[in-house]
Amino acid sequence: MKTINKIALSALGVVVFLLAWEAVARSGVVPARLLPSPSAVPAAFLTEFNSGTWQAMVLASLSHYLVGLSVGTFLGVSFGTAAALWGKWDAFQAWVVRMLRPIPAIAWIPFAIIWFGVSEGAASFLIALTVFWINYYASYAAVRGVDKDLIELGYAFGQGGLIPRLFKIILPGALPGILSGLRAGLGQGWMTVVAAELFGISGLGMRMMEASGLLATHIVVLYMVTIALLYGVSDFLFMQVQSRVLSWQR
Amino acid sequence: MAAVTLSKTATPSVIDLEDVSIGYGSDAPPVLVDVNLSVERGSFVAIVGPSGVGKSTLLRVVAGLHTARSGGVTIHQDQRPGHRPVGLVFQDARLLPWRRVIRNVEFGLEGLPVSRDERRQRAEAALKLVRLDGYARRWPYELSGGQRQRIGIARAMAVDPDILLMDEPFGALDAITRNNLQDELRRIHQETGKTVLFVTHDLEEAVHLADRIIVLGGTPARVVRDVRNRAGRDGSVFRDQVEQLRSEIADNYSI
Repeated sequence: MKTINKIALSALGVVVFLLAWEAVARSGVVPARLLPSPSAVPAAFLTEFNSGTWQAMVLASLSHYLVGLSVGTFLGVSFGTAAALWGKWDAFQAWVVRMLRPIPAIAWIPFAIIWFGVSEGAASFLIALTVFWINYYASYAAVRGVDKDLIELGYAFGQGGLIPRLFKIILPGALPGILSGLRAGLGQGWMTVVAAELFGISGLGMRMMEASGLLATHIVVLYMVTIALLYGVSDFLFMQVQSRVLSWQR
Repeated sequence: MAAVTLSKTATPSVIDLEDVSIGYGSDAPPVLVDVNLSVERGSFVAIVGPSGVGKSTLLRVVAGLHTARSGGVTIHQDQRPGHRPVGLVFQDARLLPWRRVIRNVEFGLEGLPVSRDERRQRAEAALKLVRLDGYARRWPYELSGGQRQRIGIARAMAVDPDILLMDEPFGALDAITRNNLQDELRRIHQETGKTVLFVTHDLEEAVHLADRIIVLGGTPARVVRDVRNRAGRDGSVFRDQVEQLRSEIADNYSI
């Protein structure tokens, strides 16, 4: 299929989805309180934007997101790489990882509040936690998967020491896998933003909670759309960077 | 356990193997025993033998990638600064896919006390030597199998090694490319006077290229023949030499 046709078809899909939604909302089959019509969203946006609430919420969430994402990614990649490199360390931490891994980020909310209070730090902590595990496993697998022959090549040409081996062979070789982890973390991070803010930390999630309490469902939808857009933009930007960084791939 | 010794004394030989015995693990029987071999400076030595006999392992021992179980491995290193004792060429070209060609060729120079400019110059000279000087900015995936193998040779030559070690470097290439690269290698050997230790299971290749052929055979394997090859540069005796080697290997081949 031609690219132009693909784009046209995707756009058509979105339009049909919105039209169907609008039709159901207007038909009166479902009460407007339960299902706001999409055409109510622009007006909601203008109100929220003019009062400055929208910008404030986006900025607050963005800062939780960026802090949590960077900390979680950095630690996840570091610990995942370390576990894949050193068998002893891997064995030492294996069961700790197995115990901690299945606990979802929202289960940590009580501790987040006890440790950080209802604060920015608590939200960033929860996001970092989610992102950490994704990057931990992605990096672990990616580093394990680096071609052993290339590592041997390093030894043969005097680049077998830890530093050259790590930076000239293992990390570049694992980069495609590490970047896939980063990308998955980018999406999961936005999902956690909402969950982390539901208990009152200023941001998109909190605003959605407030609006739903007032049954202002059109505002809830506005912030759902906002998150979708923010995710779309961050994923798009990431893909641009990724295709540049991995230009050596066929 | 015997690691490779680097010696700085000037000798006619580049490497000396004394009573080298090689095996995997500590309990398994040895693969290769009693290997005594001196490779003269500037010579082209081929090691042949059936597959599984330990040819590649012997080469890996000289390259320092595998440790001999016993015996001595000495490389007589030249006094020149900024070079490595060995340059290794693998059967798969083994280029780093995330580096452009020129940076692949520079790889072995990076750990040496060589300035950035000199590194680039030596890499460019090595590319010229393998006649791929127009390919410096390409990615490895853009190259054919034969071109990749040339880059592998350039990378090994760029470190100006005392000895060039080649592990069945043309084994995975099609016949025409293989012949071309054999001719190129002969030219490079003549132009540079580099000592070459070349592992192959292809007798015709050995007779075509080398001036000395070491035959490994038996279980555990040992050196069964050490032949001065007269045929390399003289077509008339080529067949005889190949046939003679073939029968020698058959005599020493046990399953």
